[in-house]
Amino acid sequence: MSSVTDKPAKPASTAVAASPGRLRSLLTNQQFLLLVALAALVAYFTSRDSVFISSGEVATMLATFSELILMAVGETYVIITGGIDLSVGATAGFAGVVAAFAMRDLLAGHSPEALVLTVGTVICAAVGVGIGLVNAILMNWARLVPFVATLITLGAATGMSLVLTGGAPIGADAAAINLAAARIGPLPYLALIVLVIVAVCWVYLHLSRYGRYTFAIGSNAFAARAAGINVRRHTTSVYVLSGLLAGLTGMVFYMQLGSGAPSSGNGAELPAIAAVVIGGVSLFGGMGRLTGTILGALILTVVQSGLIIANVSPNYSQVAIAICIAIAASLQALRPQNRSQT
Amino acid sequence: MTAQGQPLYEARQISKSYGSVAALIDVSFALYPGEVVGLVGDNGAGKSTLVKVLSGVHAPDSGELFLDGVRRHWKSPHEAIQAGVETLYQDAGLAPHLTIGSNVFLGREKLRPGLLGRLGFLAQQEMEREALADLERVGIAVPPSNRTVSELSGGQRQAVAIGRAVSWARKVILLDEPTNHLGARQSVEVLSVIKAARDKGLGVVFISHTLPHVLEVTNRIVVLRLGRVVRDAPTAEFDAESLLGTITGLIDGA
Repeated sequence: MSSVTDKPAKPASTAVAASPGRLRSLLTNQQFLLLVALAALVAYFTSRDSVFISSGEVATMLATFSELILMAVGETYVIITGGIDLSVGATAGFAGVVAAFAMRDLLAGHSPEALVLTVGTVICAAVGVGIGLVNAILMNWARLVPFVATLITLGAATGMSLVLTGGAPIGADAAAINLAAARIGPLPYLALIVLVIVAVCWVYLHLSRYGRYTFAIGSNAFAARAAGINVRRHTTSVYVLSGLLAGLTGMVFYMQLGSGAPSSGNGAELPAIAAVVIGGVSLFGGMGRLTGTILGALILTVVQSGLIIANVSPNYSQVAIAICIAIAASLQALRPQNRSQT
Repeated sequence: MTAQGQPLYEARQISKSYGSVAALIDVSFALYPGEVVGLVGDNGAGKSTLVKVLSGVHAPDSGELFLDGVRRHWKSPHEAIQAGVETLYQDAGLAPHLTIGSNVFLGREKLRPGLLGRLGFLAQQEMEREALADLERVGIAVPPSNRTVSELSGGQRQAVAIGRAVSWARKVILLDEPTNHLGARQSVEVLSVIKAARDKGLGVVFISHTLPHVLEVTNRIVVLRLGRVVRDAPTAEFDAESLLGTITGLIDGA
C-alpha cells in the first residue's frame, strides 16, 4: 500500500499512497475511528436495553464523565510534552478531603452554601496547584523522571488522605449533592461547568502559543530550547495545570458524594491515562488531539455504564477498559507514523 | 587574517569540559562581517561543542565571548537569538511533529491581532504563508503545504532548518553540518544560500566534514584537533590534501 509515494519521505500513513486527499485524512484520523466505535457502542447497548439512552442514565454517564475528563485533559497536556502524571487520582482524592474539612467547619458555622462551595473549590484548586508544583520541583531540581516524581506524589497524597481522615469520609453535605444534580436544560449544572473548562483547554492546546510550546517540547525538547523556549518553565506550568485540573476533580467528587472520601481518587489515574491513550495521543510526546481524549473518555464512560445496563458484573468493567486500551493501542502501533526524533 | 577591523563575533580562550573530558581547551576564534569561516576537525575535535558555546546552549567553563566588541554571557540560546546569532544544529534543530511554518516561527510565533492575540492565540495561516515566502526568498524550495516536518525528506528538512536560520539571522549564522543528508544539487543550493548570506554582510560559521564544500565556500579555515585550534589560516593556503593532513595530524599546524 505504501510502497509507491511521490516523495522520498516515509509516508505518514498507509493511505497516503492510495489517495493523498480525503481518504487519507479519514482513515488515518483516529478521531473518526473513535467516533465510529463510540456510535457502535451506544447503538449496541441501546439495542440491549433502551434504558441506556434514558435521561436518568445519560445523567449518570455525564457524572462519570465529569469525574474522569478533567484529569484526562491535564494528562493530555502532560503526555504531549512527553511526560506522564501518575498523581492525578491521588491529587483529586487529597484535594477533596482537605476541602471537605474546611467546608464541614464552614457549614457548621451556618455559612451560605454558595460561599462554602466557592471556598471548597478554591482550596481544591490550591491543593492541586501545590502538588503540581511539587511534581515540577522533583523533576526540575531533583532531576527525577516524570514517572518517578509523580509516583512519589501519588503515594504521598494517597497516604496523607488516609492520615488526615483516618479512612472515613469527611462531611455530609446533602445540599452539594442536590446542586450537582440540578440541571440547566438537559445538562447537569456540574457537567456544564466541567465542559466549559474542557472547551477552554481544548482551544488553548490547539490554537494558542501555550499549546504550541507544549507540542514543541514533546516533539523535540532540544529544538524547543534552542528556539528560545523556556522548556523548564513551560513544563512546570503543564504539571501545575494537570494538578489544578486534578484538584478540581476533587471538588467534582465532593459534589457527587456530598463528602470528602479519602478513597475517592484511588486508581482514578488509570482511566484518565486510558482515555488519553485510547484517544490516540502519543506517549512519546509531540502528537495528539484533545478531541481524541474526549472521545476516549466517552468510550470508557459508555462501556462502564453499558456493562451495568447489560447486567454484566461491575468486576468485569476493568477488564473491558483493558480491552479498549489494547484495541486502541494496537491500532496506533499499526499506523506507521514517522518517529524520527533526535 | 583576511578581514580587517573589529570582529563581528569573537571567542577568547574558551575551555569547556564534560566531566573529566576536556572538549575545548583555550580555543580562540574570530569571525568578521561578510566572512565565511570553516570549522573543521575529526569526530570529537570539539566542533559541535564550540557551536553550542557560541549559540548559548552551553556556558563555557572559562573564556570570553564578544559580539560586536561587547562582552556577552549567554544564559540561554534565547539571549543569543535575541542578539542576532542564529544556529543550525546538526540533525536536531526541528520539531518533527510541527508543520514547516510552525518550525520556522518556533519561539517567535505571530499572534492574532487584538484581544485574541493578547490571550495567546496564534496567527497560524499568516505564519505558514510567511514561512514559505521566507524560505523562497532565501532560495530554498519546499513543498507548499502545511506538512509536518516528519513528512519531509532528509534534504527538505535540512533546507527548512537552513532557511529558518538564514531568514532570521541579523549578525551571525552558525551552521553545523548544513550539507548533511543533501544530494549534490541540494548541496549546491545550500552553498549558494551561504554565499548570499555572506554577501549581505552576515558572518557565517560553516562546519562540515565535506572538505570540498569547505574549500569552496569559506574565506578562512579553523582546524580543531582534540579540543584545540591547530591551524587558523586563509582558505587559499589549503588544498584538499593539506587540509586533510592538518585535520588528521599528519601535517603539523602552524
